[in-house]
Amino acid sequence: MVKPDVLKILNRVVAGRKREELCSTRDAVQRLTREGGNTLFGRIALCGFGKVPRVGSRSEMNFQGLESLGRAQLTCHFLGVRMRRIFIGLVLLCAVSVASAQVRVVKSAGEKTSIDWSAYQAGDGVGQLFIKVLGDDLQRSGWFTRGGPGQAELALTGNAAQGGAQAMVYNRATRQQVYGKRYPLSQQDVRHTAHRVADEIIEAVTGKKGFWSGKIALVGNRTGKKELYLMDVDGAGLRQLTSDNSVNLAPNWGPGGRQLVYTSYLKGFPDIFLIEMASGARKRIAYYSGLNTGGAISPNGREMAMVLSKDGNPELYVRDLQGGALTRLTQTQRAAEASPAWSPDGRQIVYVSDQSGAPQLYVIDRNGGSSRRLTSRGSQNVAPDWGANNVIAYASLFGGRWNVSVTDPSGSDPRQITPGDADYEDPSWGPDGRHIVAGRAVRYTSKVVLLDIMGDAPITLTEYPGDWTSPAWAPGQ
Amino acid sequence: MKSVWKIGLLMVLVSSVAMTGCKTKPKNGAGVGGIDGIGGVNGADPYGYELGGRPDNLSEIASQFGMVYFEFDSTQVNPGERSKVEAVAQYLQSNPRVGVIVEGHADERGSNEYNLGLGERRALAVRAYLVNLGVDAVRIQTKSLGEERPLALGHDEGSWAQNRRAEFVLFQ
Repeated sequence: MVKPDVLKILNRVVAGRKREELCSTRDAVQRLTREGGNTLFGRIALCGFGKVPRVGSRSEMNFQGLESLGRAQLTCHFLGVRMRRIFIGLVLLCAVSVASAQVRVVKSAGEKTSIDWSAYQAGDGVGQLFIKVLGDDLQRSGWFTRGGPGQAELALTGNAAQGGAQAMVYNRATRQQVYGKRYPLSQQDVRHTAHRVADEIIEAVTGKKGFWSGKIALVGNRTGKKELYLMDVDGAGLRQLTSDNSVNLAPNWGPGGRQLVYTSYLKGFPDIFLIEMASGARKRIAYYSGLNTGGAISPNGREMAMVLSKDGNPELYVRDLQGGALTRLTQTQRAAEASPAWSPDGRQIVYVSDQSGAPQLYVIDRNGGSSRRLTSRGSQNVAPDWGANNVIAYASLFGGRWNVSVTDPSGSDPRQITPGDADYEDPSWGPDGRHIVAGRAVRYTSKVVLLDIMGDAPITLTEYPGDWTSPAWAPGQ
Repeated sequence: MKSVWKIGLLMVLVSSVAMTGCKTKPKNGAGVGGIDGIGGVNGADPYGYELGGRPDNLSEIASQFGMVYFEFDSTQVNPGERSKVEAVAQYLQSNPRVGVIVEGHADERGSNEYNLGLGERRALAVRAYLVNLGVDAVRIQTKSLGEERPLALGHDEGSWAQNRRAEFVLFQ
């Protein structure tokens, strides 16, 4: 929470502005926060000005933690433009903003919204599974805690059984309905329906997209060979995608999750393959002499970045997927490149190179030119993923342990997000910009886990025998 | 200001500790080229030779050439390993219709994708040495298996040392 004396300063600064405009509705706060850079206004709204619904206020505070990643300066800049006249107040605000940004990196459990579903009625086994999956999703989303009846801020009520489900969410204090819907329900799709309802409740309460309805591609070896698998975001619904009896590696989604590219030894050498998810059709799309790996489709779907050794050394290339024109981006004859990932605007690529003597991250323009080293902390930094939120996640080796870190694209403020209790590798952003899936290895056995950049503990998703690695979270539609 | 100096000093100490943990390697001499004196032909860069087309319908020839082992995170063909490459070069010279696939491997440490690149560079280093010994570059293919095909399955230096290797597969 923001301290009372800070409140006084904020109060002074916003005096003269239309408080209703800023604070009167949850939508206004959400709009302000979403518009970027102005998290402070959201925060002002939350500090007791105006009538912000309690539920919304909690959620917005959570969101500020997320936004605070590298946002403090932006906030200051924004205020500087808008409120240049109140210079002293501005200086104070910047100080406050920076301080609270640092504090908010680790969120306390108290900032979640409590929700109670003990009165929810399950009519049969299908209904029981529905409310179990829904409750688990809400609790593991990072936004909610399960509260007791009569105490929780929100109440989830309704009923579910084979045939149909109904779910309503009420604000207990105001008796206002936040969410209410009815769905057909069957044995086959009960989990997916529950995920969908969870996502809708998350969005209705927080204004942020839920993430449980997506899918994750991953590599598993339970058949004795490395094959590609798909699973739901909660780890259920595991299904084997390839049966090549070869080595399949490094799955990577195209935009909208419509295509999956990966590296396979199906034809003897490491080549890049592409699967069209709608039809299941598979093509071998890069099979130059030597190494073909690291395939990553650009956000507009027209190009693929990859690592090839056809010219005598592993280098980074971009290929036009329609015309086939190939552009070489790196010229590092003493080094190997690996693991390219596109920026959300498609203009830059982050990748691994060992040109300094150990693998580190670099950023290069899509058209080539000189590269810029991104990482300096850690003896090795690998496996980058550039999220739609413009934050780069990667695996970092420090003190003999691999952890997942995140940084803004300038690389100036890397932050470790895993607890250092195991080796965390191969992070992949979820579409909500808050959660990440990664491999977590203990004593050389790896499982896929769900990570929260706002500090919730990792959740294991693959409770299956064998090794599960290289998760790739499908981007939203 | 003082604390800045302290942090700087700490960083120097930490990094020097970290450095002693790994093998010091002459990065400019990685591979067989560069400063260790076995440069490419006529001073050409050993990583500058384009790969030829992949062989079609390859039929493998049984052979017993020794594996070339590498130091941790290094792609340099050490002096002690060179005779193994020389034996292959000799064989190829007296069997002009035979080609070779050099398979490069890495130990399990580090990311899979980075290890693919590392394995490829080991294979390319061996290839460069073969070229340097007079074998036509188009007869030599490379294939990285990264950390995917370990020979020894332990998680210790003894196993890792056996897995950092290049192997020769001959074909006709």
